[in-house]
Amino acid sequence: MVFNKELLLEKGQFVLKEAEKLGASQAQVTIISSDRSLTRLANSIIDQNVAERHFNVSTDIYIGKRKGSTNVEVFDDKSIANAVANAVQIAKISPENQDFKSLPGTQNYTDILTLDDLVSKKTIDATPEQRAEYAKLAIDCAHSIDKRIKAVAGAISHSTNERVILNSLGVEAYDRSTTSNINLTVLADDGTEETAGWSSDNRMDFSKLQVKAVSEKAAQKAVDGFGMKYLEPGNYEVILEPAAAGGLMFYLSYFGFSAMMYQDYISFLRDKIGDQIFSEKLNLWDDAYDKRMEYRDLFDSEGIPKSKLELITEGICKNLVYDTLTADKDGVKSTGHSAAFFGRSLPIATHLFVGEGDSSLDEMIAETRNGILVTHFHYQNAVNPTKGVFTGLTRDGAWFIKDGEIQYPLRTLRYTDSILRFFKEIDLIGKYQDPNDTNGNIPPLKLPSFTISGSQKE
Amino acid sequence: MRDLTEKALEICSKEDATYADIRIVTIKDEDISIKKGNIQTLNIRTTTGFGIRTIANGGLGFAGSYDVSGKEIERVAKLAVRIAKASGATRKKPIVFVDEKPVEDNYQTPIKKDPFSIPSEEKINLLMEADKRMRDYNPEVIKMSRADYRGHKEDQIFASLEGAYITQQITFCGGGISCTAITQGEPPQTRSFPGSFRGNFSTKGYEYFESLKLLENTDKTAKEAITLTTAKHCPTDRTTLLLDGHQLMLQIHESCGHPTELDRVLGTEAAYAGTSFMTPDLLGKLKYGSEFVNMTSDCTIPGGLGTYGYDHEGVKAKRVDLVKEGLFVGYQSSRETAAILGLKESSAGMRADSPQKLPLVRMTNISLEPGNWKREELIADTKKGILMSTNKSWSIDDKRLNFQFGTEIAWEIIDGEIGQILKNPTYTGITPEFWGSMNAHSKDDWKVLGTPNCGKGQPGQVMYVGHGCGTARFNNVRVGVMQEATSTSGIQ
Repeated sequence: MVFNKELLLEKGQFVLKEAEKLGASQAQVTIISSDRSLTRLANSIIDQNVAERHFNVSTDIYIGKRKGSTNVEVFDDKSIANAVANAVQIAKISPENQDFKSLPGTQNYTDILTLDDLVSKKTIDATPEQRAEYAKLAIDCAHSIDKRIKAVAGAISHSTNERVILNSLGVEAYDRSTTSNINLTVLADDGTEETAGWSSDNRMDFSKLQVKAVSEKAAQKAVDGFGMKYLEPGNYEVILEPAAAGGLMFYLSYFGFSAMMYQDYISFLRDKIGDQIFSEKLNLWDDAYDKRMEYRDLFDSEGIPKSKLELITEGICKNLVYDTLTADKDGVKSTGHSAAFFGRSLPIATHLFVGEGDSSLDEMIAETRNGILVTHFHYQNAVNPTKGVFTGLTRDGAWFIKDGEIQYPLRTLRYTDSILRFFKEIDLIGKYQDPNDTNGNIPPLKLPSFTISGSQKE
Repeated sequence: MRDLTEKALEICSKEDATYADIRIVTIKDEDISIKKGNIQTLNIRTTTGFGIRTIANGGLGFAGSYDVSGKEIERVAKLAVRIAKASGATRKKPIVFVDEKPVEDNYQTPIKKDPFSIPSEEKINLLMEADKRMRDYNPEVIKMSRADYRGHKEDQIFASLEGAYITQQITFCGGGISCTAITQGEPPQTRSFPGSFRGNFSTKGYEYFESLKLLENTDKTAKEAITLTTAKHCPTDRTTLLLDGHQLMLQIHESCGHPTELDRVLGTEAAYAGTSFMTPDLLGKLKYGSEFVNMTSDCTIPGGLGTYGYDHEGVKAKRVDLVKEGLFVGYQSSRETAAILGLKESSAGMRADSPQKLPLVRMTNISLEPGNWKREELIADTKKGILMSTNKSWSIDDKRLNFQFGTEIAWEIIDGEIGQILKNPTYTGITPEFWGSMNAHSKDDWKVLGTPNCGKGQPGQVMYVGHGCGTARFNNVRVGVMQEATSTSGIQ
């Protein structure tokens, strides 16, 4: 894929002119061009291997407070003009949205990062053959760890993207990105039981993916998993490795801090902004521009530039995340967190940081009297989001710790507990890890109490 | 389009592909959402594109693009073969497909009213009225209301190097309403109709959306939401559990649908959605459920959301037994996975959610076949138990054994009669033990319900699937899990 900023801007301006010609009072157009490739491993072979090319044009037309939207995958001007005309027709028949005031006006975009900071040529030029080489490396490394390694599964992917957002009030936002990821689940089998280990890495530069380290870590976890036992439900101390902590932080952010969740009476933080309800050791913020973030969006899906936003400072809930619609309802400014999906949108934080501590994983284990160590969680979901109650299952490695030492691996455990309860106290916080297997920058955490509600046996 | 499909297949062949197929697809999707008197979404999405799947050097390759032009088809066909060759380098054995007689055919979802021929104004007016009626029921307590509609149409062309050429038009539509009640000092409670997560859907025309009778059900929905706010909590107990269709469908989906997908069983999803406890060595041996449990995969059921003429590798729709009288007897499969297991044929389960995506083994209509009971007889026969309805929360482990679900509402059953409403119902169990405890299933309220929200695969895909079921009864089930978990923390 070849970047073509001028072409995207030209197409975007074409949409705005068509919209104006057809009587739109305001209009926004989003054009995303992308190439995405993914090689999937299963049973230590390449099982699926795909490449996709997309060119997506989303048009939002306003006639007063009436809105119509279309979302099309077309490139030629005639088809785009049809999509704009359809959006205008839809807007004309739409009821007024009394919550809508206006699209955002002209924005100032920081030059902290240049376009070259956002992409890697090695990712743009990555090939199916290079993905196959990585696949072979991952498979060979894992199998070299132990004879009991049975299968390597996972995915090696990369994407190249460019995006333009224009609106009739002067927003003109352009960014581009490259992303790459490897995630591996390694299975081991000794003839009596099957175990699994997992690890992952995210890089802007495909050539910098830590394939060997990820493969070896996942394989070692699988090997360390033999001899699994059941654990009785109850309250335990818990050490959350970064991916496990990251999974909980996603739910904390999505259900707690999204202004839409708050306004819809779903958020468990309702009437708690400004209160200290979490451990004073907990600091959570969103910052797309922090250079420790491997890849980023420079602006949200309305073209509003990203900026650092405190969510939790020393345990105190500080700010909700807003898009324009929810901000107008609360009489505040958008924080630049609009995320659109096929015509629907909501505000959500997507560049999360949890403040680091200085504890090592070994120190956390040594400090644990009666607890569990969790690699990551599977199939988490809200049970009662208004009370912050969530559930999920341990996956790809969990271990029982007694009196400061790992005792034995555990069969799958289910937790059901409230974020409002288990983040009230945090014992220890570790450092960011490399490879980084979280979507943000999340360190390991040790909590004094976490509720295990079940296992794979009744 | 035939010239383009022929060109694509010819290029693949010249590039040394031993197998190739191409799908050219146009999807049109209308999405309308009303929230608390305001229109939130009125969006029409149109996607056109193609995907080419090839086998070369024993490996599988796939590439797709939005640009259905001769030049782009040439680029993508060559790329698909190149990817297949790279894949083949890691394989121990070449990919083999079970035989499938190539056909030329056309299929269309039978519909009475094309959803896209009905003016959007008509749909909006109905949704606005339904949304308003729920709030008007008690404006002081109903703080949030929603009404949703979705119509969807796919025009598909499938052509293969083997000689198949199949055109299909799949249409579905549906919708629903929900509202949230808040009373002083009580947590919010939400109630939906006919199902949660934007309602229910069917491969029928607009006549299906009309048949939902949303306007006639606003008062009942609002009333139940209000009643829930002051209702008793679902107790923590082991008890007899009854699930009606709007929860039973998801129980089937998660604990029978996903674990019988053969690609998942064979390890394709091992690093993502997980694997399955229903392994090939247990086929024909595992006691999955009680003698009353009969599960099928059937993409021929009229109106089922997983109903079509041919799957996305040209296999004609069919019905397959998954569980027969409690015994695990079959899988949902593809031409490739069927061959790995030595099966004679695919179950016609391969679908992709968009033109640029690789088809995967997806659920069709996975159903619990009707039992012999009437729903009222089943309730009358229950001395003490809890009836739960309408999914609110779901979670299941990577082998599909340990599950935990929450529903919007439950009712006590005492001495064969439905009693008071219970709030925050949850239940948990282990799949074969749970289905092993099923002792009754109704037939009079059996119907095929549909969800368009089934996620699977990397890159992720979202598919529309159906589930036929009535009301079923299970013995000795652990309920009230959330109460257990939060009662010690002061969080109620």
